[in-house]
Amino acid sequence: MSAAKLLVIDDDRDYRDSVRCLLESEGFTVVEASSGDEGLRLLVEDPPDAIILDIVMRCCCEGYGVNQALKFRDEYAGYRDIPIIMASSIEQSPDELFPMAGEVGMIRPDYYVTKPLDIPRFLEVVRRAVGRS
Amino acid sequence: MNPAAEPETLLVIDDDYAMRLSCRKILAKLGFQVETCENGVQGLEAVARLKPALVVVDLKMPGLSGMEVIPRVREISREIVIVVITGYATIDTAVEAMKSGAYDFLPKPFSPEELRLIVNRGLERRRLALRSRQAEMERELLKRRFVSFVSHQLQTPLVAIHQYLSVLKRLEETEDAAAKRREWFDRCLKRIEELQSLIRDWLTLAKLEGQCLAQRRVRVDLRQTVDNVLAGNAEIAAANQVTLESRMPEECAVRGDPNCVSVLVDNLVANATRYNQPGGSATVSAETVGEEIELAVSDTGIGIPEEYRALLFDEFFRVEGAQPGGTGLGLAICRKVVTEMGGSIRVESEVGAGSTFRVRLPAWREETPEGA
Repeated sequence: MSAAKLLVIDDDRDYRDSVRCLLESEGFTVVEASSGDEGLRLLVEDPPDAIILDIVMRCCCEGYGVNQALKFRDEYAGYRDIPIIMASSIEQSPDELFPMAGEVGMIRPDYYVTKPLDIPRFLEVVRRAVGRS
Repeated sequence: MNPAAEPETLLVIDDDYAMRLSCRKILAKLGFQVETCENGVQGLEAVARLKPALVVVDLKMPGLSGMEVIPRVREISREIVIVVITGYATIDTAVEAMKSGAYDFLPKPFSPEELRLIVNRGLERRRLALRSRQAEMERELLKRRFVSFVSHQLQTPLVAIHQYLSVLKRLEETEDAAAKRREWFDRCLKRIEELQSLIRDWLTLAKLEGQCLAQRRVRVDLRQTVDNVLAGNAEIAAANQVTLESRMPEECAVRGDPNCVSVLVDNLVANATRYNQPGGSATVSAETVGEEIELAVSDTGIGIPEEYRALLFDEFFRVEGAQPGGTGLGLAICRKVVTEMGGSIRVESEVGAGSTFRVRLPAWREETPEGA
């Protein structure tokens, strides 16, 4: 079985670096994007098995935008099922963060983790997301 | 009144047909949209529907009286100005009406001029209240945005450092890991420095907010200040391959707070050094303009697109695509410091060629008593 591929979308180079190193040491393949736009482009070029997505990037809440685009825009219809792991330093439960989920057409991400990452838990979430737990 | 805005809607509630007609005529001439109703019930229905700026209501009407209408109008919106018309102008009824929320009263009979005056005065007060509420809301929003921005700015480097260290801790002791460790320690140090400068800048701003920084008004030798600042930035300039140059006149002194002038010049020179290109230069010059000294800090960087220039001095504003490392507070500090000292700051820029920041500060005059 080939290594599962993960797309890390985050505007902080240092954060991407450490996540890449961590995931590679666990046998994953990692692709990095430093913005939501770049992430969406790479995703189409080379679809990953899961996406690790930062919420608050340079353009404020760019992460939500990526999530919305993937779930709703027709051009990404083929990638709708790729699991999204949202990461943020906002310490709030997903229930509080996405209270209006259904009502405003906001889709809850498949998984939600807080930064800095709790490494064992994060790896468990990643394995579950790519279906290899 | 803002001529471009929609005309304000006024509502007259009076059971007397002649009164409704004359009020409508007088007020419509002033350019208002005027509606009339003949009783309290219809009046309240119209208030809810039209959300008028001002209501003129007769106190004595069959059915729902003016006194009963006032609190219900206030329930619909506290921003509606209420003027009452009273036929039996006793002070008591007028006071009672004003206690329950009316703005003023008109005793019958009144002249067109009296009506115009009272309506205009009431509307002016409402506009002022609306404006100050708007300003209050904007300030509130800014404060909220400031807090979330700061917490994000503080969290980001901390998260990066935390993550580096926790991943390093997990890595097996290999050659690879040793190399990573060296590299990542350096990067952690950089992020810590970033955090420190953010905290330092933030504190400077907070102190300025409390106005405990730019207090002194003494002679500040600008030429000497520039020399010191250039010396302080020499190392980073060399690293960025940027030449620093002073073209300051011999005699050049301003009236202000020495620390603040230093912080100001340092921020501008640091920016000119950081947002430049290899082989470029940062030049500081000054000239006397009337009662002021104009200090100019020029760089040969990428320039600032027009649309960003107005936002440049806002807290946390950063030009898109700018190199990381800045706190986004430097120019906000400059503006605060300059304003405190009674000066001004502006920027001229040409995309692709560079930018010049021009600061004006009061020139030092020997006869100016110190601390004045």
